This record gives sequence, structure tokens and C-alpha cells, in this order.
Amino acid sequence: MLFCEQCRVHVTGSSGRCPLCQSPLTGQPEENAYPVLRAGKSPLRLPLRLAALATVAVAAACFAINLSLPDTGWWSAIVAAALASTWLLLGVTVRKRGSPMKAIVWQLGAVSAVTLLWDLCTGFAGWSLDFVLPIFLPCVQLAALIAAKALGLRPADYLFSLTLCILAGFLPLIPLLCGALGVVYPSVICAGISLVALAALLLFKGAELKADAQRRLHL
Amino acid sequence: MNDRSYLPWWRLDNAAKIFPSTSSAHDSKVFRFFCELKEEVEPAALQAALDRTMERFPLYRCVLKRGWFWYYLEDSPLPAVARPEDLPPCFPLYPSARRSLLFRVLYYRRRVSLEVYHVLSDGAGALDFLRALVWEYLSIRYPQAGLPQGGAPAFGVSDQQKEADSFQKYYEKPARRFGLDPAAYQIPGERLPKNRLAILEGRIPTASLLACARSRGATLTELLTAVLLRSIHEGMRVRDQKKPVVITIPVNLRNYFPSFSSRNFFAIIHVGYDFGRNEDSLPAVLAQVKRSFEEKLTQEQLKAQMNSLCALEHNFPIRMAPLPLKDVVLRWANRLAAHGATASFSNVGRLAMPKGAEKYIRQFGVLTCAGCLQACAVSFQDSFVITFASPFRSRETERVFFQELSRLGLDVTLTTNIEEEAEQHVVL
Repeated sequence: MLFCEQCRVHVTGSSGRCPLCQSPLTGQPEENAYPVLRAGKSPLRLPLRLAALATVAVAAACFAINLSLPDTGWWSAIVAAALASTWLLLGVTVRKRGSPMKAIVWQLGAVSAVTLLWDLCTGFAGWSLDFVLPIFLPCVQLAALIAAKALGLRPADYLFSLTLCILAGFLPLIPLLCGALGVVYPSVICAGISLVALAALLLFKGAELKADAQRRLHL
Repeated sequence: MNDRSYLPWWRLDNAAKIFPSTSSAHDSKVFRFFCELKEEVEPAALQAALDRTMERFPLYRCVLKRGWFWYYLEDSPLPAVARPEDLPPCFPLYPSARRSLLFRVLYYRRRVSLEVYHVLSDGAGALDFLRALVWEYLSIRYPQAGLPQGGAPAFGVSDQQKEADSFQKYYEKPARRFGLDPAAYQIPGERLPKNRLAILEGRIPTASLLACARSRGATLTELLTAVLLRSIHEGMRVRDQKKPVVITIPVNLRNYFPSFSSRNFFAIIHVGYDFGRNEDSLPAVLAQVKRSFEEKLTQEQLKAQMNSLCALEHNFPIRMAPLPLKDVVLRWANRLAAHGATASFSNVGRLAMPKGAEKYIRQFGVLTCAGCLQACAVSFQDSFVITFASPFRSRETERVFFQELSRLGLDVTLTTNIEEEAEQHVVL
């Protein structure tokens, strides 16, 4: 064991200096009680940073070319918006990668919002409400169900997310009832599928759903 | 009962309710107990021991989930795995990228460490788990020693007793109102990078420390609190001395109210000293510390404190507030409470292992991470181990503390993780 003459204390480990006064120690070094830790870095960190840098470079190049050729219209804004949308969806996925069911719900929200925004900003032709969302929502419900079964999750681990996906399937009814739709039948089919899914959920997993709600809503 | 829908879950106890909202990378609310054996740890035996121990502590098989109004614990099929120590001490367990159990078992050379998120349990509760784990390990690793199977620690305590929320049991609606503690001195200084903790353990022979305390008519905790107060004072600037130095001391309520719970059941007392107005000699500080302990460590005082905290939790408008709002308010309240304390000292006390197991164990130790300077102590046979965990680059408080103990004639042996970076080429 090591000894510090100044502080009159023994020191374990292999350090050459006193942890209190930093004077040199006398005696025999021993093994350390704490491991030397290598800095652990996430394997995703470097690729994500490189991709982010590449995105900025592409956007900057597009703006530069666009500014040099003003007659071609503001197409660089569309490129930038597309890159931003991609990053939003990628970011949601990476952030929620620990829990796939949560990731699905977040992707549902992000994709819906991005689709609506694109439609709104490109003159609101109504394609998002007429077609994209009513087709996308039942697909997400199916994806959530497949993910839950494929991962062998317990009801408590997927019911809440699955319920949210199913309830989101009724949202196309809002523009339908407001008369904002050009084409009605995809939204009607979407709501119908959601109703059947909700009924199946309540019939087959009603008890589990109730227990889950009791846990989540306890005061 | 419909078996498929049945899933065990637990409400958080009163003390645990504040922890999920206020844990962060620099204040992980994770504490570590370690047991240093006389021989190197055998990973396979440790894993087998962990599997056996898990069967006896159902509450440890759970994850933390967010409800709409409160967090709660839910049974989980995740396996408990004993891993080689590859993380900094008290690394956050929640929130983390992946859902995990709320404790981890680590080993390095001769040490077995149990790190527990404070939501799950307090020190006394976690100690039951560690003692059971070490006992199982020793009986697997040394079958020839003939450790009696019925003698494991925490046997004879039912699962319901271990899971009991003792705060609820002893809560009575109080008449007292809340008051804010006056602002305490805050240790200034640059923090270590990456929210690292500097660990400094001091091992002192229990008998001589006890004799030293007794000769001054004090208990171990009182003496060490007084020495700690003076060590902090040593680093204070004169203009800071108008603020008192306040040390928070957790008190195990199981010693005051019968309980076998493995969950949280503690209260916190504040012991302060105003160096601006009072003498800074050890006898003067010790006398004041003894008075504070006598005043505050009574069943009525502790009950009053427990009741006022539980009353908050039972307040209907507070219960109705959605969890994101509670998160914000609790974080703010936690910051406010932190202003009332300079450092913290927790003496877990004397730890016993069943007969036959002692000869394989060298020492136990405990440390915790809570954003400010923390000292924790535990004694096992003749080794009293006090561990400082500090987020600061400067270790002047610890230096003065251990030098003072050495001056009091005590034989101090220090162990640290501090120089690890400098020594990468020496040992791995």
C-alpha cells in the first residue's frame, strides 16, 4: 500500500500522487479499485453528423446555384423543405429508437403534419386530406399491429400506442363532416377500418386495455 | 380473474414521486453500494446469485412508466444481468434511450456494485438486496463453506412487507404549513466534464473512530458532521460567511416507525452552522451539531416532516395536475430546495452479514450522486468507509476533512477513481 507522509494517510491503487495534497507517495502500488473507462460513443453519432453536414452542403449548393440562375424559379426552397422533412422524420425515428411502438405513434404524427404542410404550402390542392392521410392511417394501424406481434410485446407494452393509432384513424371524419373533401370514399373507408379495429380491440383486449388505462390514469 | 390482463404495478411512494421529474445527467439520483470481497468476483456465480435474488425481490423486476398524472412502476420481463463495470459511477438509469430495470449489478476485480435508482428504494432497502445477493453469491461460489440456506438476509420478510408503502401507512393529515428554508452557502467551483463524479473513499477502523467520537461525548454521525461542516468552512470566502453551511442528513424512518419495506422510507433533517456568528473550533461546532440532532431526531419532529410532505401528495388539485405540469413544478421546487443545502451526509450505519459470510468480505461502501457534494458512510466489522462523491474539480473539502481525521489520530486509507485518466497506460 502507498503512504502520504504529508497527510499521514494510506492510499490504495497505483497512483503516484496523494489524492489530497498531490505529493509523491511512498510504498508499493496495488491494483486500482475503479476501472479505467474508455469514452463510449454512440455508433450513430458520426454517420448522423456527416449526413447533417452533407445536407447543409447540398442546401447551400442549391441556394448558390439558384441565386446565380434567378430565372429558374425558387426551386431551392423546395429542395430545402424536402431535406428538412427528411430530417424531421429521421430525427423522430432516431430519438424513439428504444421503443418501436412509441416510434410508430411519433412517425404517424410527424408524417401527417409534414404531408399537410406540403399540401398547404404548395397551393392546397387537397391531395393530403383526400388521399394520403386516409390511406396512410390504416397502414400505420397495420404496421403497429405487425410490430407488436413480431416483437412479441405484452399487451401493456403496445395497447396504448395501438389505441392511439386506431383513434387517429377517425380524424379524416373531421374534414369530411366540414365538407372540406373533394374525394370522400378514402376517408370513409379509413374511418370504417378504424371502427372495426376499435371494436376488435375492445372485444379481444378489453380487459387489458381497462387495466392499462387504470395504471396510466391513476390519481 | 382474467390472468392475461393481470400485470403487477405499483404507485410511487411519497419520496419517490419527486425523483423522476428531477433526475438529470448531473443529478442522476442513482446511488451505489459496493461489497469488496477478498477474492476476485466470478461472473457466472454472480449471475446465478442475481437470478436467485431476483426471485425474492419482485419489486426489483420493474420499469418506470409515465402515466397521465403520476409515474408508476410496472412489472417487466427484462432480465437482470450482472455486467463488468463499464460505466462511470452512478450513471443515470432513467431517463435512458432504452427502457431498463431501475438498478444494475456491476463487478470489477474484487468488487460487486449495486446501483439503484432512488425511485425504487432508499439505501436501507437496497442494502437488503445487496446483502441477499452477496449471500447467494458466497453460497454458490464457496459451497464447501456450508453457509446455512435458511440464513440469508431478509428472509422471513414477506413480499407484501417488502413492497409496502410505509409513508402511506403512517400518514396523518397535518395542521402545519410549509415554510422555505433560508438560503445556505453553495460550494462554488468548476464542475468535472461530462457530469463525472470524483470518488474519494476513506477507510477508518471502526473501533478507533468510535472511541474518538465517544471521548467527545458524541455519536459517529455527529462527529463526522461537525468535521464536515468545518471542512466546508475552510474553503469559504469571508464574504460568503453570512450564509450558514447546511448539511442535509437522511434519516432511516424504519428506526422510528416499524417497517420492513424495501422501498423508500426516509426523512431528511438539516443541520446547519453559522460560521459568521459562531466560533469555528471543533468543540463548538460539535456542541451545536449535537443540539440539532437532539432537537430534530425525535419521533414527533420526523412525523411532522413526513406528514407535511405526504400532505402535498394527497392535495386534490395537485393530484389532478397533468404529469408534464408536475414535472415542471417539481423541477423548480427541487432547485429551490437545493438552495437550502450545502452538502449532504448519509450514514447508513452498521451492516451485518450472517455468520460464516464475513470471512469472505473485506468491506462495504456506499456513494451517491445528487448534484452537490455528497458523503455517505457504512460500517462493516472494523472497517468504517466514508465515501465522497463530488461533481467539482476541486477537492479541497475532502482534503481538509481527511487531514483533520488524520490529525485526530485516526488511521485513514484512501481509495479514489480520480487519477484514472492519467493512468491509462499503467493499468487496465
